[in-house]
Amino acid sequence: MSRPRYGAPEVLATFLLVALAVIVILPLVIPFLFVFKTQLEFAYHPWALPKQLKWSNFAESWNAVRIDQGLVNTLIVSAGAILFTLPPAALAGYVFARYRSRATELAFYAIMIGYFVPIQMVLVPIYKMEVTFALNDTLYGLFLPMAAFGIPFWTLIYRSFFRSLPVELAEAARIDGAGHSGTFFRVMLPLARPATILALLLVFIAAWSDYLLSLILLSDPRHFTMQLRVASFMNTYGPDRMPRYAAAAIISAAPTVLLYVIGHKWIIKGTLAGAVKE
Amino acid sequence: VSDRREKRGGRDGKRAVFIFLCVLPAFLFLAVFLYYPIEETFRISMTKSSGIGAEAFIGVDNYAKLFANEEFLAGLGHVFSWAFWSVLIQLPLSFVIAFSLTFYANRFTGPLKAVFYLSNVLPSAITAMMGKFIFAPKSGIIASLAGALGIKWLGAVDFLGNPKLAFWSVFLIATWAYTGFPIIYLMARIEQISKDVREAAELDGATGWRYAWSIVLPDLGYPLRILAVLSTVGSLKLFDLPNLMTTGGPGNATVTLGITLYRQGFVNWNYGKAAAIGVVIFVLSLAFTIVEFSLGRKKGGETA
Repeated sequence: MSRPRYGAPEVLATFLLVALAVIVILPLVIPFLFVFKTQLEFAYHPWALPKQLKWSNFAESWNAVRIDQGLVNTLIVSAGAILFTLPPAALAGYVFARYRSRATELAFYAIMIGYFVPIQMVLVPIYKMEVTFALNDTLYGLFLPMAAFGIPFWTLIYRSFFRSLPVELAEAARIDGAGHSGTFFRVMLPLARPATILALLLVFIAAWSDYLLSLILLSDPRHFTMQLRVASFMNTYGPDRMPRYAAAAIISAAPTVLLYVIGHKWIIKGTLAGAVKE
Repeated sequence: VSDRREKRGGRDGKRAVFIFLCVLPAFLFLAVFLYYPIEETFRISMTKSSGIGAEAFIGVDNYAKLFANEEFLAGLGHVFSWAFWSVLIQLPLSFVIAFSLTFYANRFTGPLKAVFYLSNVLPSAITAMMGKFIFAPKSGIIASLAGALGIKWLGAVDFLGNPKLAFWSVFLIATWAYTGFPIIYLMARIEQISKDVREAAELDGATGWRYAWSIVLPDLGYPLRILAVLSTVGSLKLFDLPNLMTTGGPGNATVTLGITLYRQGFVNWNYGKAAAIGVVIFVLSLAFTIVEFSLGRKKGGETA
């Protein structure tokens, strides 16, 4: 449809949408106005442009909750979650897509139970179990259950993805003499790369963002993930000293925002693939 | 070639072994972290248990006590009104935005969509941090703006500390954070409506909001119902934002089922009661999931 010019309603609607978008993004922009000021400067001229760029607020909030330690922990947790979510989900999703029988359908529904069970329901038994096996307050004790909760969803996504690939490809591989596993690893899995990239991105974001499981399972502050440090910064230091608080907000939001700026098309596509599947 | 020489039994055997080995890892994970814990939740919910000493079977005592517990009832009430207002406010809002974005598709549409979805990917701890940043007394955005503009009464409002306002302040932040998903979901659905339908509607004189109301909205019945159920189930599980922004307070003003579960289980170490709350959350979300599927079936071929 080619439209030669913008009509008045379109201009008005677009203007309103842009205004709304500015409001939506403002909470992420305003901290930059505060962060370079001293507490005194903020108290007298909160809305003026900063007189000089004062970087010490970043260092202060970074050191207050040891962001470096949090980054390392969270990266380990995210890597672990990816490593233990993707392979089981890809394998199971492949079987549910390509080896359909009454038994595999039944197995598929058994796994889908996990998609409908709220994490809150199983927190107590998981905590008790982790205490019994001394897994609580460790990073692998955190990413293992995280992976378990992610597997049903990604099995579903891999299943739809493998179903969308033409059957002939797998058949050709079989005729060439590839066995079941050869067909999967050498032909089908490489073809599923788009699904794998989505899973990498979204499992990473989910693990990075986790708050509830980390809160329950970790107790030693040295093991705290990024989000627990953000929370403890909020409770211990609070927004009374706004420039430092703004620095903490910028530091903690930056990784997600950067990842989003780079990959927002993928992120939105992947989220919709999960919601509008099949 | 070698396939043909194999006996049929051998081939089926290999196939079965392959299937078994492929689903095994997923099932191991779910058995340890899901199936067993589900069974345990039901069992623990019928015991008096603190993790130390023996568990005592007490039947439905935990449940009976919960429904006489002020904090639990407050949590139950809050998640229901949270669900009600999410559906009533966030869904129409996201429909209006999604429709305008797709109806007036132009060079701004892509970037606007990306901006509206951005707050959805922020971790809840950071969303909460932004919430406090906006609402903090004296130093927050609203308070310092009110100060700069000389609006004294507004500067004195304690958005998170006033029991009458706290729920709505958290709700407003949640609206900021979670409306992006319904927007992109509805946009995807609206984009599926064919151009012919739109052109035919325009020929019939149904332009702008007439078109939205009489053509687009009826077509979105199913996705809107799915979104309604999703936000209801999401409300039942609500924990992060109120716990981070107000820890359920002041008093019980922003307590949710998730917060009472956390307090019972991991502050008071009363596992029995916490497990019972977990069962309540499960049963309620199961009920809504069943509703979701029966609504889906009515529309025929579509699956959730």
